[in-house]
Amino acid sequence: MTLAIGTTRRPALSLRRAARPVIGTAAVASFLILWQIVGANEIIRSDLISYPSEIAETFVAMSLSGELGRNVLATLGEFVQGFIPACLFGIACGLAFALSRRLRYLTAPLFAALYSAPMIAFVPIIVVWFGVGRDSKIAMVFLAGVVPIIINTATGVNEVSESWVRAVRAFGAGKWQIITKAILPGALPAVMAGIRLGVGRAIVSLVAAEMYVSILGIGRLIQVYSNSGRAAEIFVLVGVVSVFGLGCVMALRSLERYLAPWRAER
Amino acid sequence: MSHLVVENLRLAYPNAADHGGFLALEDVNFQIGDGEFVTIVGPSGCGKSTLLMLIAALLKPNTGSISLNGTPVATPGPDRALVFQDFALLPWRTVLKNVELGLELKGMGAEERHEVARKYVSMVGLRAFENHYPHQLSGGMRQRVGIARALSVAPEILLMDEPFGALDAQIRQVMGSELLRIWERDRKTILFVTHDIDEAIYLADRVIVMSASPGRVVREIKIPLPRPRGLDIRNSPEFAAFRHEIWTLLEEQVRSSGSWEQSE
Repeated sequence: MTLAIGTTRRPALSLRRAARPVIGTAAVASFLILWQIVGANEIIRSDLISYPSEIAETFVAMSLSGELGRNVLATLGEFVQGFIPACLFGIACGLAFALSRRLRYLTAPLFAALYSAPMIAFVPIIVVWFGVGRDSKIAMVFLAGVVPIIINTATGVNEVSESWVRAVRAFGAGKWQIITKAILPGALPAVMAGIRLGVGRAIVSLVAAEMYVSILGIGRLIQVYSNSGRAAEIFVLVGVVSVFGLGCVMALRSLERYLAPWRAER
Repeated sequence: MSHLVVENLRLAYPNAADHGGFLALEDVNFQIGDGEFVTIVGPSGCGKSTLLMLIAALLKPNTGSISLNGTPVATPGPDRALVFQDFALLPWRTVLKNVELGLELKGMGAEERHEVARKYVSMVGLRAFENHYPHQLSGGMRQRVGIARALSVAPEILLMDEPFGALDAQIRQVMGSELLRIWERDRKTILFVTHDIDEAIYLADRVIVMSASPGRVVREIKIPLPRPRGLDIRNSPEFAAFRHEIWTLLEEQVRSSGSWEQSE
């Protein structure tokens, strides 16, 4: 009897799993079609919600005029310049906090507070410190990105197995070798998770900062087009930001699979 | 020639629950000759693993001394290679890279250590698995990697801390005879800790029996059984006599200390 249930269940489950991408695609497609019908026929005012074919045309037009490319490049540049130092500094800080108990007790509340604070709230003060140019946006990316990287690295280092450290130490490894051979590689999956979290937060903060103070960048464009109520352009820009975020996460996932195959395969 | 000399070793863990601390080892003395295979048996918690950590210098004794080839042991080093009960492989490294670890820390160049590691991977029969990760291997295979890693640095002495304790009974016996096969090639000095009496007798030239905590050496028993030893040697009357002798000693220890009431 139980066997019968087992055998009938299994194919049903695998069928469902095979159908998953089909269902997903179908859902997105029906949504787009519905949106197109509702928007193009002015069932809801199209200047408010736009519709897919208009958005696609706008995307092409913005790309051809160079407007999109110029602004994407500006945003991308700020992101890279802020995020790479955030990774390096975040990993170093996280490692130091995890290895020194005193430092950890001293800084843990600060970072917990920073982590739960919305970074956007810092924009005005950052602008006061760094001016209205690129620097304040780079600083925002750094600040937003660095906090989860520090916290995750510290957690990852604390969770490094005692036995890995023992194995390395038994061969006579020095302090630095213990860090490079056991602690950092052991903490790598947690560090990568922190970087993934940091990417999301950094993108949000960057776009928000650009909306406040900028002459170039995706956030700035979103600001400009929302002032003139241009739904299609805004959807294009939001789409670009999402695709960028998604791209970052996917790239990090494959980097993680490459760097830590022992974890990814589980 | 005495190779490893352990004298008047005492170790107390100061931070144990009661304020006096926990006395793990008290007045431990023994010597191991070059190329000798010595096993240590004792009731759980008698400090046998602690003793190995002291010899590896991962712990420092309160008093007493340990010397290897006449030189006092002060810091961990590849002249005393450890094999751990939990294997302690690095999960992000392949079999070959795990075996290379000690060589890497010794500062050997990439090409040379690759070659040396390969040799030891083949010795433990894992040639076909050299690019596998530890999580892709069985427990027995993982410990073969642990043994290859320890042997690869050409240590003076191999310190084995219940290396087969995490394996099931059959694999355990097979691993024991595998270890003897490898040992008989180059007769590396081995100090092997176990709580399995049969394993202790089967492997050893000499069995050191330790008391319940605080750990002391109760008796040293020479095992002059002929080598190479097959697994069926366990059924011989001589083996049974040794088993009985050690069993009796351990039973006394366990009863007198009351440690049989505790679980491990």
